[in-house]
Amino acid sequence: MKILIAEDDLTSRTILQAILSKWGYEVIATADGEEAWAAFQETDAPQLAVIDWMMPGMDGPTLCRKLREQKRKDTLYLILLTSKDEREDIVTGLEAGADEYISKPYDNGELRARVNVGKRMIMLQNELREREKLQGVLEMAGAICHELNQPLQSVSGFSELLLMNMETGTPNYKKLKNIKAGIERIGDLTRKIMKITRYQSKPYLNESKIIDIEKASRYEEKGE
Amino acid sequence: MDEKKILVVDDEEKIREMYSQVFSSSGYLVTTAKSAEDAIKILENERYWVMFLDLNLPEMNGIDLCRQIRRDYPMTICYAVTGYASLFELHDCREAGFEDYFTKPASLSDLLDAAAHAFTKIERWKKR
Repeated sequence: MKILIAEDDLTSRTILQAILSKWGYEVIATADGEEAWAAFQETDAPQLAVIDWMMPGMDGPTLCRKLREQKRKDTLYLILLTSKDEREDIVTGLEAGADEYISKPYDNGELRARVNVGKRMIMLQNELREREKLQGVLEMAGAICHELNQPLQSVSGFSELLLMNMETGTPNYKKLKNIKAGIERIGDLTRKIMKITRYQSKPYLNESKIIDIEKASRYEEKGE
Repeated sequence: MDEKKILVVDDEEKIREMYSQVFSSSGYLVTTAKSAEDAIKILENERYWVMFLDLNLPEMNGIDLCRQIRRDYPMTICYAVTGYASLFELHDCREAGFEDYFTKPASLSDLLDAAAHAFTKIERWKKR
């Protein structure tokens, strides 16, 4: 998982980066609030961050407040690093939008535990978001397929009926056969769409994404 | 058995028309109903052994209709034909008493096979 650190002090930043990398995080290190803000605007930005309170320019609480004001689609878990540990300051930090704070000098065990809480929270939120998306996809897919299958049934039925009463091998018979084959393909597609069981997308034009019907509809046996 | 009668319940006119044509052309006597309520009225006056029911009907749905028919006439063979398929519904259909389940667009030869199979079964039951 990616983690952003915003810390102006080179020594502290280097130590923090080393520790977090050792724990398996992909660290994006920034030296001040502006740089951190810019990193959060990238696509696929980190969702977890350790932010120093005191930084030149944009400080930690301001960064937190600005990020919260963005009404972002992704969940952020922001940990403020503070040498101030007076109660009001902690309240100010949390009210600015931080989820958690760690007082300097911090103990590695405490840092690890708090970062892990953040990671767990983000994973849960991401899973929840995926489930909500899936729910929307399923409802939409179900509604469209149902509406589509009704006219499809009459087109398919009537063409089959025509085929039954037609002499095989005639040019019209062949044409109708082609029509029928096309309808069957659409029918297979609507059946597949209705079997969508998970949110699985694939890249489409202009960086947009579309549902991968083939993969998302594959039924995974759960045991009767 | 004297007549091979089939009752078809579907809320869409074109589909009812299509069923009528296909089953009639294979020698069956077809009656259609546009709702579960209409089907129940028809059944009060006439006995049908084989039925094809759409699941998504305006008032009472096909599952409940099947359940009621199987309660009042246990020997009836009902087939579900639905445009809204999911694994969950297949389970529900079996539980409601449906013999089999077809998803739209269903192939007519599958439906004709199902009808033939149902009447063979009924003949056998009657000779018992």
